[in-house]
This record gives sequence, C-alpha cells and structure tokens, in this order.
Amino acid sequence: MKLCALLLTAALICLGQSMTADTSKCFGNPNAAVRLDVFSDFECPACRAFHLDLLPQIERDYGPTGKIFIVSHEYPLNIPAHKFSHEVANYATACARIGKYDAVANSLFQNQPTWYSEGPKPGQFWEYIAAVLNPAEQKRVQALAKDPSVIAEVNNDVSLGTRLNVNSTPTLILSHGSQRYSLPWPVSYSLFKSMVDGMK
Amino acid sequence: MMAPGEVQYATPSAARSKAAVIFMIASRLVLGAIFLYAAYVKLKAPWQLFAMSIDSYQVLPLGMAEMAAHVIPWLELALGLLLIVGIGLRISGTITALILGTFFALMLRAYFKGMQIDCGCFGPGETISWKTLLRDGSMVADAVAMTWLAFLQKR
Repeated sequence: MKLCALLLTAALICLGQSMTADTSKCFGNPNAAVRLDVFSDFECPACRAFHLDLLPQIERDYGPTGKIFIVSHEYPLNIPAHKFSHEVANYATACARIGKYDAVANSLFQNQPTWYSEGPKPGQFWEYIAAVLNPAEQKRVQALAKDPSVIAEVNNDVSLGTRLNVNSTPTLILSHGSQRYSLPWPVSYSLFKSMVDGMK
Repeated sequence: MMAPGEVQYATPSAARSKAAVIFMIASRLVLGAIFLYAAYVKLKAPWQLFAMSIDSYQVLPLGMAEMAAHVIPWLELALGLLLIVGIGLRISGTITALILGTFFALMLRAYFKGMQIDCGCFGPGETISWKTLLRDGSMVADAVAMTWLAFLQKR
C-alpha cells in the first residue's frame, strides 16, 4: 500500500514536471494557486466557443487577481473532418515564437467558420494569420512553421495530452496543489468560478 | 433416508430457486459496489465537477443541476450500502432500477442527439459512447431482474 502511494506520488510529480509551459502560450502568474491547462484544436467548434466565450471571462475575472495561470496546448485531432488542424497548430506555434499567439489564435477562432475543413474557404487560414502580422512577421512565421523545433513542440503537446488521457477537445485540466481535475465540457462559467473561488 | 452412495438431485424448481438466490446476491453485491465507487469518486472531487456533468446534458436548469450534484452522490452511497447489506431489497432495488433507468435514458438521449459530452457516471473524462451505453444498459437490466426476483421471493 505504501509502495503504491509512493509510486502514485512519483508519477504525479513526473507528470507535473512534464507539463512545462511555452511562456508565449500562457496567461497570468506562473506562481498562481490554480493552473488551467487547455488542450484545443483550431478546427474544433467547441474550442472556438471556449476561446471566444469562456476564456475572456476567466481572463477578465482572474487576470487582475493573479489566481489562475492558463497554459494553452495544441491538440490537433487526427480525424478526416479536421484536415488542417495539425498545420494550423504548427503556424500558431510559430506565431507564439514571435509573441503573437493570442492575436493569431483570436483571429483563427473568430474566422474558423470560413477556413475550416467544411467552411466556404477550406484551408485558407493563412489570410487570417497574416491579417494580424506585419510583412516581416509573416515571413518569419512562414519559415518557423516548417521548423523542426516548432513541429516537435506541437507533437510534444499531443504526446502530453495523450499521457493525460485527453481524447476530445477542448479538454480543460484544472490543477490546485497536488489535485488535478479534468473538467467536463461544456463548462458553465458560474460553476467554474465557484470551483476556482473555493480553491485557496 | 438415503442409501450410502446415492446422489440426491435437486428438483428443477429448487435448482431454479437456488440460481435465483445466487443471481440476486451477485447482483446486489456488484451493483452495490458500483454505486459505492460512483459515490466515492463524486464525493472526493469538488461538487462543481459533477454539477458541470449534469449541466452538460441540458435537461435541468443550472440551479437544479447544482442541487442534484449535491444529492445524487449521497443517494448513491446510501443505495450502495443498502444493496450490499441486503436490507429492504424490494425498495432499494426499485429505487436503483429507477435511477439507473433515468441515467440510461438521459445517456441515450444525449447519444442520439449527437451530444459529445461526458457520461458523468464515475467522474469526468468518459465520453458517452456505445460502450458506456452497453455498460449502463446492462446495469439497468441487472437492477430490473434483481428487483423482480426480490418481489417474487416469499417474505
């Protein structure tokens, strides 16, 4: 029994250490009491709802208090209906390298109904990325999106999600101390707030 | 008086009765353990997690989902204990069958509406699928059969 407890503790510590964050995809105070890891796919409509509806509320209420540290992870689903997910994740990660992740993620999610696989302009996501970058940044992002380190970063996010039993998007994992909770989607903001406010 | 070496065969009705008793004991122990586990998982996590699961079915207003999230785990705990102890099996069996039947109907509704939501049966992280439907459907059938046998038994 003791051995089991030790092994479980060790596994949790290892998992905690492996959940490192690309600082350009983070929001808030890294030393916050509560951490929210978000695994999402740019082609997923529910991720769009999270990004456009829930995330702004969380940032508005907890940004000033510094109670939550939010980390975004790419989790492009490998399904036929999401043909461009992986490529878009690479581009978004490339944008993170130049400090433009939030702006690009906003633009991509806002325009998702247009460029996603079944939209009127399937795969034409670049124009919505380019819209928030200047010409020099566009050039850098085009190069970075094919950089092996960027591709590896996206693959690492996917591996991490798989290790954490992520099987749908968005998956929201709330951590407080040694406790880790996977939140059922869709998340009611009032319940989310009540849960976070109860975490001291 | 039986002669030495003579084998006594149970009559068909006695054998059936014995099988029914064994089935009932096995059913109440299995269902009781499942209910205790389900209650444990929900009670050890913040109640809001289960409320989110209930809310995701979109059948109850948020206030009622919150109330259900507080009540259901304790009900599961009480039913689990009653089933394992085996007291008042007609009543506890009926409530178990009704609760499981309700959960199963809600899961079927969500599945056929194409709602990709968590089952919420044993905490988050288990999306409703044909596997969860098969599992919960079996539990409903088991609870109904156990309750039916409990009513057939002489007091």
